[in-house]
Amino acid sequence: MAVRHKHRETGTSVVVYADNYINDIEGEKLEEMCDAFLEKGFKKIVIDFSGTDLVNSIGVSILIGIIEKIKGKGAVVFSGLKDVNFQIFHIVGLTRHIRVYDNEEDALKESASCDGVSL
Amino acid sequence: MSGVDLSLERLLFNLNTLAELGEEITSPKDFTRVVKSSLYMVMGTFSASKGIVFQYDQSDGLFTQIASKGLTDVRGAGLKIGKDAATAIIRNNKPIDLKSADPVIALLGPGREFLERLGARVLAFLIVKDELLGLIAMSDKFSGEDYTLYDYQLLSVMAQHISFSLHSHTLLMRLMYRYNENKGLYENLRRIYYDTIHAFAAAIDAKDAYTKGHSHRVSSYSAAVAREMGWSADDIEGIRISGLLHDIGKIAVDKSIINKASPLTSNECKELNSHPVIGYEILSRIKFPWKGIPMMTRNHHEKVDGSGYPDRLKKSDIPLGARIMALVDAFDAMTTDRPYRPRLSFREAIDEVKDHYNRQFDPEVVRPFISVIRKEVLSEVENPTIVPLMHEHLDPVTLSRILEGFPR
Repeated sequence: MAVRHKHRETGTSVVVYADNYINDIEGEKLEEMCDAFLEKGFKKIVIDFSGTDLVNSIGVSILIGIIEKIKGKGAVVFSGLKDVNFQIFHIVGLTRHIRVYDNEEDALKESASCDGVSL
Repeated sequence: MSGVDLSLERLLFNLNTLAELGEEITSPKDFTRVVKSSLYMVMGTFSASKGIVFQYDQSDGLFTQIASKGLTDVRGAGLKIGKDAATAIIRNNKPIDLKSADPVIALLGPGREFLERLGARVLAFLIVKDELLGLIAMSDKFSGEDYTLYDYQLLSVMAQHISFSLHSHTLLMRLMYRYNENKGLYENLRRIYYDTIHAFAAAIDAKDAYTKGHSHRVSSYSAAVAREMGWSADDIEGIRISGLLHDIGKIAVDKSIINKASPLTSNECKELNSHPVIGYEILSRIKFPWKGIPMMTRNHHEKVDGSGYPDRLKKSDIPLGARIMALVDAFDAMTTDRPYRPRLSFREAIDEVKDHYNRQFDPEVVRPFISVIRKEVLSEVENPTIVPLMHEHLDPVTLSRILEGFPR
């Protein structure tokens, strides 16, 4: 994998940091990475955007790809969205399908008690 | 999260995408990557989960996929349309809903089912200057919303951007095709050219029973010396050709003179010595792609002390290529049998070179010539040209003895 996305494993959850890689087609490797986590037995994936300045249309396309790819295999939630990114996710309809948390800790806490949105 | 004016945010997001798309299609990146990124941008803009880009070949009416996302297996995915459909698509020139009653849909024939199987909902054809170049097909929106009129307008603009990229690529590919075609034709011509020159060389050598292969040896020896002197590949090729043709003037010399075993009369000598000028006259009418071939031919019997012929030129007035050929021509004449004497041994030939050093032969040429021989004996060159043709075994010790006292 040319771009190894940063991640943090905690219990049955894993936090993946999208950073700005998500805005390039190379970011598609995040799809395989999330799929691999679920295959390994993780139940939840928190995609954290606190290091992402602005998600572009490529990023949106990749995120939709991730959601489609892990459909039925586990759950995915978002955290750390800057306002501008929240607005973009809202425009393209992602917020209607994915739970969004202020930060990764909140997302993990919720993850412990709730399965988020099962996809 | 603060409340936002979504329409303004959407506008900004779309403007940003258009700017990025413009940047992408004009970037020097690999075409496949540009198309893939462009597809992702389009899909992200409309939150479509599946998408595919086809390139259209008007010669066979086939659309071939060049990028896709969200489709599990599109290997070999292809779509064929007729001329009428292509004409209607160009005339229509706007994105269409595959589920609509648009007349263009009906013209797609079985292609419609194929696209539906792929999960396509919206089609945006890629058209530049009334030429159909490709197609973007996209699924329903991930959000479940319908495509709006505004979406169709935006998709039309994005498709135009991508069309330009595809158009440039198509032009480049056509140019490459023509280039490769011309390159092939050029290679053929070049082969014919070389074959002709080799046939000439064989014809020249055939005139003299003793000089069979002489022109080829002068050619390869000259090229070896020129390479040792650091000549460019093009100039080496020039002297190689010149070597093959250097005795072309002998065609006009009576065969009995060329093969005469006894000393030549003054008239016979005059006729034989006219061959460099005759060669020059023949070759100067040919427009060679290499420089200096006629002059190398004319002056390959000049001597650096000015006692050669036909122009009695002195050292630096003699073209360097001609000085190289003068040496290797004489060396080959010495090391092969002649009608008037048997061949000299390698040692005897080198002694002759030594004796005529800086009188007949140019030291600037003799040194690299000796250097080539030394390297060939020491197996320092991959394809030796001179040493293997000597009729005796040369080892480093023997060579060192032969070259003893040779000016360095």
